[in-house]
Amino acid sequence: MTTKPATKSLVFPRFFPRPNSKTGIWSWIATVDHKKIGTLYGITSFFWFIVAGLEALLIRIQLSQANNDFLSPDMYNSLFTMHGTTMIFLVVMPLSAAFFNWLIPLQIGARDVAFPRLNALSYWIFLFGSILINFSWITGEAPNGGWFGYAPNSGVTFNPGKGMTYWVVGLNVLGISSIAAGLNFVTTIINMRAPGMSMFKMPIFTWMTLVTSILIILALPILAVAGIQLQTDRIYGTHFFNSLGGGDPVMWQHIFWLFGHPEVYILILPAMGIVSEVLPTFARKPIFGYSFVVFAGAVIGFMGWFVWSHHMFTVGLGPAANSAFSISTMLIAVPTGIKIFNWLGTLWGGSIRFNTAMLFSLGFIAMFTIGGLSGVMHASPPTDAQQQDTYFVVAHFHYVLFGGALLGIFSGIYFWWPKFTGYFLNEKIGKLNFIFMLIGFNIQFGPMHWLGMDGMPRRIYTYAENMGWEGSNLAATIGGFILGVGVLLFIYNVIYSMIHKEVAGADPWDGRTLEWSTSSPPPEHDFDEIPQVKFRDDFWFKKYPETIKEYYEHGEIEEDTEDKLSEKSNHEDEIHLPDMSYYPFILGVGIAILGAGFLSNIYIIAISVPIMIWGLLGWSMEPVNDPHPDGH
Amino acid sequence: MSETAVINNHQDEIENTSTGLSNKKLMMWLFLASDVMFFGAFISTYLIYRGKSLVGPYPSEVLDIPITTVSTFILLMSSLAMVLALHYLKENEKNKATLWILGVVLLGTIFMGFQFYEFNHFAHLGLTPRTNIFGTTFFILTGLHGGHVTIGILWMAFLAYGSHKGTLRSDNAIDLEIAGLYWHFVDIVWIIIFTVIYLISANDMPPAGSELLIH
Amino acid sequence: MKKNFINKKSKLSLLFIVFSIFTIFGCTPENNQSTFGTAGPIASSQADLFILIFAIAVVVFIAVEAALIYISIKFRRREGDKLPYQTHGNKKLEITWTIIPAVILIFVAVPTLVGIWSQQNGVPDDKGQVLNIEAVGHQWWFEFRYSDYEVITSNELHIPKGRPVSFKLSSQDVIHSFWVPKLAGKVDMVPLNDNYIWMIADEVGEFYGQCAEFCGTSHAHMRFRVFVHEEEDFLAWVDQMHTPADPPMPNTPESRGQMLFAANCSMCHTNNSTTPGSYIMEINTQDARWNNWVDDTENSALVSAPNLTHFGTHTTLGSGIKELNHENLVEWIADPSTIKQGTRMQKQAMVYNTRDGKANLTDSEISDIAYYLLSLKPGSGAEMVIDDIPSDGLIDAEAVFATNCAACHSLGNDVIVGPGMGGIKDRAGDRVSGLSAYEYIYESIVEPQAYIVEGYPPVMPAWASLGDETVNALVEYLLTLE
Repeated sequence: MTTKPATKSLVFPRFFPRPNSKTGIWSWIATVDHKKIGTLYGITSFFWFIVAGLEALLIRIQLSQANNDFLSPDMYNSLFTMHGTTMIFLVVMPLSAAFFNWLIPLQIGARDVAFPRLNALSYWIFLFGSILINFSWITGEAPNGGWFGYAPNSGVTFNPGKGMTYWVVGLNVLGISSIAAGLNFVTTIINMRAPGMSMFKMPIFTWMTLVTSILIILALPILAVAGIQLQTDRIYGTHFFNSLGGGDPVMWQHIFWLFGHPEVYILILPAMGIVSEVLPTFARKPIFGYSFVVFAGAVIGFMGWFVWSHHMFTVGLGPAANSAFSISTMLIAVPTGIKIFNWLGTLWGGSIRFNTAMLFSLGFIAMFTIGGLSGVMHASPPTDAQQQDTYFVVAHFHYVLFGGALLGIFSGIYFWWPKFTGYFLNEKIGKLNFIFMLIGFNIQFGPMHWLGMDGMPRRIYTYAENMGWEGSNLAATIGGFILGVGVLLFIYNVIYSMIHKEVAGADPWDGRTLEWSTSSPPPEHDFDEIPQVKFRDDFWFKKYPETIKEYYEHGEIEEDTEDKLSEKSNHEDEIHLPDMSYYPFILGVGIAILGAGFLSNIYIIAISVPIMIWGLLGWSMEPVNDPHPDGH
Repeated sequence: MSETAVINNHQDEIENTSTGLSNKKLMMWLFLASDVMFFGAFISTYLIYRGKSLVGPYPSEVLDIPITTVSTFILLMSSLAMVLALHYLKENEKNKATLWILGVVLLGTIFMGFQFYEFNHFAHLGLTPRTNIFGTTFFILTGLHGGHVTIGILWMAFLAYGSHKGTLRSDNAIDLEIAGLYWHFVDIVWIIIFTVIYLISANDMPPAGSELLIH
Repeated sequence: MKKNFINKKSKLSLLFIVFSIFTIFGCTPENNQSTFGTAGPIASSQADLFILIFAIAVVVFIAVEAALIYISIKFRRREGDKLPYQTHGNKKLEITWTIIPAVILIFVAVPTLVGIWSQQNGVPDDKGQVLNIEAVGHQWWFEFRYSDYEVITSNELHIPKGRPVSFKLSSQDVIHSFWVPKLAGKVDMVPLNDNYIWMIADEVGEFYGQCAEFCGTSHAHMRFRVFVHEEEDFLAWVDQMHTPADPPMPNTPESRGQMLFAANCSMCHTNNSTTPGSYIMEINTQDARWNNWVDDTENSALVSAPNLTHFGTHTTLGSGIKELNHENLVEWIADPSTIKQGTRMQKQAMVYNTRDGKANLTDSEISDIAYYLLSLKPGSGAEMVIDDIPSDGLIDAEAVFATNCAACHSLGNDVIVGPGMGGIKDRAGDRVSGLSAYEYIYESIVEPQAYIVEGYPPVMPAWASLGDETVNALVEYLLTLE
């Protein structure tokens, strides 16, 4: 460590000069900046959000009246399959990833993530994977076997054609992206924290990101296994889930839901993290019971592994298995309840400001409570026997995933928009946006509860007029369009903000965490000086040192923090940012072509190999920074 | 391993991490955790589907334990070579290190040769991934493991080249170390596969009737 | 303005609660598939459990939302607010609200476990004599096999009131789910995994059922009906299912329809499972048709299909989609996709092997088939002799073959469904020892299942109804083929 060895490394011929411009298309393609990548994630996933929303509206039009023939059954099946797949894998997960990218380095006081180029690769694979799976619309073979792909209906015998192959190959490609991102964020959070920021001084959002990323690392490989097995079944004729060849269709369900239930928490925990940042800020109080909130999140993530069979109560696993999974599922209500009560405790005694971001967070609590309670109803197998695969379940998970995850994410967008862009979103439009969304959402999904109790199964493209389902369905359709207006208002707000440029400043909300200590938008290197952290909500206590005693009344201040700080801060004199690189993009292209090859023929696979080798070798021989003329 | 700061191979900049563990090593451990779930799910699939083939050939008719024991031994020896390579690299003994990395490549390649022979042999006996459940689970599981070994071989060959050229040195031995973590992991997975597929189910006979298909 | 907004929100929430309670308990139990207007102990205990959990949920819901609204109003920011006290939390409070939900959950968990073990663990012994039925899911219709009574039917299920009915659920193709909301919650029909469900109906009447697991294109159109009868009416129905239909009067649309049905439909649709032994035969035949399809999903002319025995007594067609009448039936036969898309009937059957996928039959032929199907009802029991022999006593065997047999058998060596008839005279004598060629062919026409040639599916209907003389003429005709 004492001697500096001569820098010598392998060199791979460059076909293009290493990009270094800060503007223009290459500044995006070759970027390794976590903020730019976060923006790319945000824009891309918002585009898919619009697509999935339009798919949902088509579904609602078809169901608005009995015996409607607006859509053919196969088209309808494709729409609900792609709506679910898009919303989960192309909207909520990457929107969360956009927040991870933007916020994690800022919240932990780092200049970038641990592996900036890997981060770029995650994005490019996500982008190309999302295009690949949606390309099926253009070829007219959109997947129609459901986002859950139940075998053997997703197998080639009962679902010939390329549709479900697009689905499974697309998911496998997207899975690589998610796992890479998950590895990156766990490493970043564990290893890149600012001096003094121990694990229990991290913001709750960072904690929830850590739990989510760990879930991604452990759950997505299982989806990959299910995907590979279904893919080989479909493409090469193996028998994993082919009931005609002895494969067991229930096996698919076990593997899929073993991934699928942790996935639910992958979708909701980031939103919970966002809400846990928004509420304290606008109540001007720290989160109530920090350690309980953190542990509740971790426990939810842990227990999420032991409940998967509650998706399978009607599959016939027998009373013993159903009892066990019923109890474990109900237990998850406990940590979820802790979170809700602690949020209420955070608000209690606060000085609450009803900004749009706050309204979305309050909406989150209200709606998520409904979704959580209906969840307890079908945690009970006897009642679930009537609710499984009905609109009751559709209502439940939309209350959790839209009323929960997406309202939380919108809250986050309004909250951090000034940090991302430097400008406010308009509050009046924002409140209108919230009202339309909340009302539209409830009119759309509220009636689905009683449609389900009225015996309307899910995934049916039409129904008879003598079933008594028409009124509620019409209401749901109208609600869907009101919700759509809410989304349009949001887009209008974004445009409005870009035109009117109401400058926000570094700390518009009187924030509590480190991201508010740097300028808005932050400089490329995030912090001019890496912050030294002493407390939870360190930035707040720097602004209001007189409140430190109130918070730490039970003597939680670590006495020796000071020494550790000075010791650790030695190396932070210079700002070193990684240089840009086009290799992540190239490797991403190669992986996308590989995926396309599985869908078409072996020659395409052969084309992808040299591209991937180019990307990999170029990447591994490329120094993080080219030697600079000025010699550092 | 207990260094508090680690040298990045591309840059003589000192990484100062919160845990003292280098980012690369931490991520490799996390990746291996991820891979545990991957192989875990495939091995579980194999075990749950054990004995559910509707038609032959059945495991007892094709598996050849002596041959696979040899290939298993060879793979185990490659892990030993890996340990030695890392040792010599850290001791700055460039040629020995290069040689032992090449040893890993060679032993890994021999292992893959065994697998290639085995696949070919099974195909001649009429067992392919499409034949029955055993073929499906066997080929995809061992094939994906073979894929991991192949990636490892290519990685090691790349590192051997680097060691030969002098770009892989004691100060960036972390690069070999994480490759080694990967290699040992793949090795351990094979030991589990060898136990589960070869030792445990080697005597699996044709099932008596289709009753087996019912839970 | 902020205050207004909160009030609006609280009103909305209140409205929502009132509306949901009103709708669930007030309006819809009489709907066909409502899970509340129950007609059996299983469904009603499931509904009761739901109401219990719902009541608990409403209390929690009101508590949380009320707290949220109260806190929002009470602690809204006012002019001159000081910085709130920066509390880090309160351990006692937090432990309390960890324990409270856990305690509440006990009140949900205990009745849940009781429910699981009383409903999913087989029929209790004290419920009376169990009726066993095997329900088989197909894309997209239900098949019901009464193993106790050797009755087989499709899409319309008849059960007695007050007796426990135990269903063995299975599927030949993809996963379906068996669900009659007013009688019991659903259980899936999974290939290779037999499941069981039992229920008791407390009320006589007609109940709606529907497949509840996504099963492909026409999942929405996979419905069925359950008819609950008094015990003696049920037994009478069983008797009727064992009573053959009267053969149609000669020279009526029904009789022409019978011949057309035999030639175009009968290889997949059995319509006479009334006689002893026909139950087992139909099950085997159904499996054979299915295996034929599995072997060649693209080109198989056979596929498992609903049993149409006494179809005329049904109230619906197309698995509960449309009312059964002549007009709808004609529409269905002419082009099933106008009613239900993606049916295997339209995809596989020879008669739909046309450019536009419509039936290769004239309007009057379709009408005749429809009349014939509607005439399939339990008969008077009197044996009617078909007297279709022309007055001159000569039978045109070639024409008989063309009408009745040519859909499946060629005159040369080509295989359509069954073997080609070319040169049969040379083979028939060697098939079964002790039977001459003449006797073998005769047997194969009147009782085809007796000697199925290996490699062919056992799907040929028995043709004894042609009458002895016609069969004899047919045999002689076949013996002339080279």
